Amino acid sequence: MSETLFVQLLDLAVGLVLVCAFVVLWRRGLGAIVHALTVQGVALAAVAFLLGVHEEHAELIGAAALVLVLKGVVLPRVLLRIIRDSDETREVEPFVNVTASLLAAAGLTLLAYATSRDVVALDPGPETSAIPIGIAVALIGFFVLATRRKAVTQIVGFLLLDNGIALVAFLATAGVPLIVELGVALDVLLAVFILQVLTTRMRAKFGVTDLNQLRELRD
Amino acid sequence: MRTLVVLVPLFPVAAGVIVGAAGWRALTAWVGPLAAAIVTGAGVVLAVGVLDDGPVTALDRLLRADALSAYMIIVIGSVALVATSYGVGYVRAELEHGHTTARRARIYGVLVQGFIAAMLTAVLADNLGVLWVAVEATTIATAFLVGHRRTRASLEASWKYVVIGSVGVALAFLGTVLVYFASRHAGGDAEASLNWSTLVTLAPSLDPGVVRLALGLLVVGYGTKIGLAPMHTWLPDAHSQAPAPVSALMSGVLLSVAFYALLRYKVIADAALGTGYVRGLLVAGALLSLAVAASLLLAQRDYKRMLAYSSIEHMGLVALGVAIGTPLAVGAALLHILGHGIGKAVLFCSSGEILHVTGTTEIAGVRGLLVRQPFLGGIFGLGVLALLGLPPFSLFASELAIARAGVADGMGWAVGVAFVLVFVIFAAMVGHAQRMLLGEPDVADVDGPSRRMSTTSAVPLVVGMAALALLGVSIWPIERLLEAAARVVTG
Amino acid sequence: MSVAGLAAAVCQTALVVVVAPFVVGLMRWVRARLEGRAGPPLTQPWRDIRKQMAKERIVPATASWVFTLAPLVLVATAVVATGIVPFLTTRSGLDEIGDLFALVYMLLLGTVFLALAGLDPGTAFGGMGSSREMTIAAVAEPTILVAIFALSVTAGSSNLSAIVTSTLDHPSTVASPETMLAFAALAVVTLAETGRLPVDNPSTHLELTMIHEAMILEYSGPDLALVELAAHMRLVVFLGLLSNLFVPWGIATTTHPLELLAAAGAVCAKIAVLGIVIATFEVFVAKVRLFRVPELLAASFVLAFLAVTASFYLA
Repeated sequence: MSETLFVQLLDLAVGLVLVCAFVVLWRRGLGAIVHALTVQGVALAAVAFLLGVHEEHAELIGAAALVLVLKGVVLPRVLLRIIRDSDETREVEPFVNVTASLLAAAGLTLLAYATSRDVVALDPGPETSAIPIGIAVALIGFFVLATRRKAVTQIVGFLLLDNGIALVAFLATAGVPLIVELGVALDVLLAVFILQVLTTRMRAKFGVTDLNQLRELRD
Repeated sequence: MRTLVVLVPLFPVAAGVIVGAAGWRALTAWVGPLAAAIVTGAGVVLAVGVLDDGPVTALDRLLRADALSAYMIIVIGSVALVATSYGVGYVRAELEHGHTTARRARIYGVLVQGFIAAMLTAVLADNLGVLWVAVEATTIATAFLVGHRRTRASLEASWKYVVIGSVGVALAFLGTVLVYFASRHAGGDAEASLNWSTLVTLAPSLDPGVVRLALGLLVVGYGTKIGLAPMHTWLPDAHSQAPAPVSALMSGVLLSVAFYALLRYKVIADAALGTGYVRGLLVAGALLSLAVAASLLLAQRDYKRMLAYSSIEHMGLVALGVAIGTPLAVGAALLHILGHGIGKAVLFCSSGEILHVTGTTEIAGVRGLLVRQPFLGGIFGLGVLALLGLPPFSLFASELAIARAGVADGMGWAVGVAFVLVFVIFAAMVGHAQRMLLGEPDVADVDGPSRRMSTTSAVPLVVGMAALALLGVSIWPIERLLEAAARVVTG
Repeated sequence: MSVAGLAAAVCQTALVVVVAPFVVGLMRWVRARLEGRAGPPLTQPWRDIRKQMAKERIVPATASWVFTLAPLVLVATAVVATGIVPFLTTRSGLDEIGDLFALVYMLLLGTVFLALAGLDPGTAFGGMGSSREMTIAAVAEPTILVAIFALSVTAGSSNLSAIVTSTLDHPSTVASPETMLAFAALAVVTLAETGRLPVDNPSTHLELTMIHEAMILEYSGPDLALVELAAHMRLVVFLGLLSNLFVPWGIATTTHPLELLAAAGAVCAKIAVLGIVIATFEVFVAKVRLFRVPELLAASFVLAFLAVTASFYLA
């Protein structure tokens, strides 16, 4: 694979990760949001795979396979099951409307560029210069968590955050050591399973999965 | 020694497997406390070992034990001993009253042991990535424990706990990745770059800009798990909804384990950036936590939440001690971690007992406890006094030492502000405790002898208070270990 | 500015004027076929224009000079816009003014005049259409600017011909994230600005949902013919811009007549393909609610914005 082709494919995959984050903000249908997240997972796996091929790093290709299975297949299935069980298919009015969220996310992207200047400056190159995108995705995930009120969209926000961080990890250091990678994957998987169980219980108790219902505990 | 390092987290795992296989029975219930006792013993052996021969590593340098790790193992072991032994009687009472089922009791037993194993792994990890995985694992293990009761409120608490906890820790992971990035660029190889022992030697050559960004994320991330304000919002909910022994463990040691993670990073950051940066972050977190705790304790109506806010206060004090950063201050902060752990464990356990007796967590619902349940009221009262930092308990000594170290190091203003807030908290908690303990109970409320606290529940609490008092009188058994552990942090 | 260049510019304007109604005819026909109707012949838009031209001109009593002037301004701006977009050659005589900003302001000028004309007679539907059109234009025009700006960062110039030339020289940039993002943004804006689904339904007869049609309800006769022609031309300008900015191959790099002829064939083919794609797309989508239109446009603005950041940072 030639250097320019590598850079181009890498930029493409990284760009796709960011666009998927914006699609999550833009769409209201929960199904569409999960699909965007799936595509993002696949793009993330592609980033890892490209880096692995480019640096001839077998461990990284293994990590790519792990990401593909976890974020491209398993997690979306869990989310789709939550949606199917709940017969709620749309995000009702979020706290911040869609237009404003999109513009805020554009601002967050700039913020990501501003905060990661030091990181990029340490080792300028095609991989590191894309790090701000990972941070931007993480910030958007944070934003989704803070402004959406369906249980599913909160889980999606958490996963966006996680994908953004994973992207930074791949781009900055060609991935953390495999044992850590495995541990992180397991933790994320279990956390999502736990949230799924909690969502099921929430529906049994409240009838809906609107997090506005969670307002009993306060001082 | 090397095998012992690997074995320590495996003791609770084995206990969990036994409970999982055999169910929660009269005999298997005691496996947990047994494991905790063994862990404490192993911690002492490790401590002696590392004090004499220096740090040991194991499992291809994934695990490493130095004085600080050994100290934390002792803290975890002893708090777990109090909490799990009390848990035996607690679960028995829950089963008798039909509040829980045999199946849930078994899950409870397994998860508690998994939780303890995760904390032990965290303090033994040399690889900071493994440390992160272990800290996140504590969230996962405790999520269902918080929601154990399955009420609306406990569901809400566990949702907030998992989401806020995981998100916070995710930020810490981003920080970890950035530290790894900086370390790779400072010449570390792929395998060892994330090892704390390697990072300490590389620290002076790490890129300051990246480390600054990373530490900001790490303080916010692990600060969420510690319960430092303003990331504390999950803490009162989770600690008040979890079953009493779990609250005891979460409040008593989980917060400190998260703090332990920050201590490790502080060493790296101080070498890479100088001491000012982390100190600034920690002082801000400490004073804000104290202020939040003080303002919300004043009008608190729920005694379990009162204890939770008191945890935020004490984490704030520990943060202040670590921010001051002299050997005396760090040693005092570490002692404070132990004292707070045991004291808070005793208090949460007795709060569980009060809940059994009165059926409410409202402060207003508990009157004349000293008349109704002299023993329980006495333990609760003593526990509150200990947490307020009154002699002879060890928190008195550690708070005094933090204050002295702060004034000596030119941080008198921060200490001054902190102790004004501590005084407000003192007044608030004394007021609440007095309303619960004194006064005439309603005649209808006076309980029969059947509601007396069982001996199995009472013994751990008495032993815990006694240990706290002994430590307050003299710290000679752990003095060398404390000094060595503080040296690990101060360099 | 060479004579040949000027001739090329005139050729391309003439080509667009002639071809534009056919493109619209093609799109209507494709849509009709896909919906199972026979569909009008491709010449139908031209026949409509000819028929309108022959009719009497009626001006509402409440209208002022703005109403009369608007169709002329609209056509004039459309003609200038067709002159400066590199349709046939990168060496057009109007190359020097073929600037990104000039183009956007030319298009905006037409839009503003049409909106004013919608307001002018004081009818309810006209005003409603104008206000809706301005809501869309307020987001759509900056999006065009930002999207093309992203491309001009890569090319190092805001001259449209220079951008096209740079893409011809470095074909690999087409697959880069910034180009794709800019393309997506521009595609959405094209649909919005030319009044296609899912923003506006060009074949609606329901006044309440109209945008473009509502503004021109009061026009009749030759005025209506001019407005319609200008609208067709604007559609072709956008389609041409989309196709030549992102798939420039086939465009002439000289002003040789034969090459121009080949380029004319190429650009017509590209525009026809794009038109068919849009018409097919329109069969499958429904119009979004008016309140959701700003969301759609904000999304396209964000895409364009990301294209700019990407072109600055990933390059």
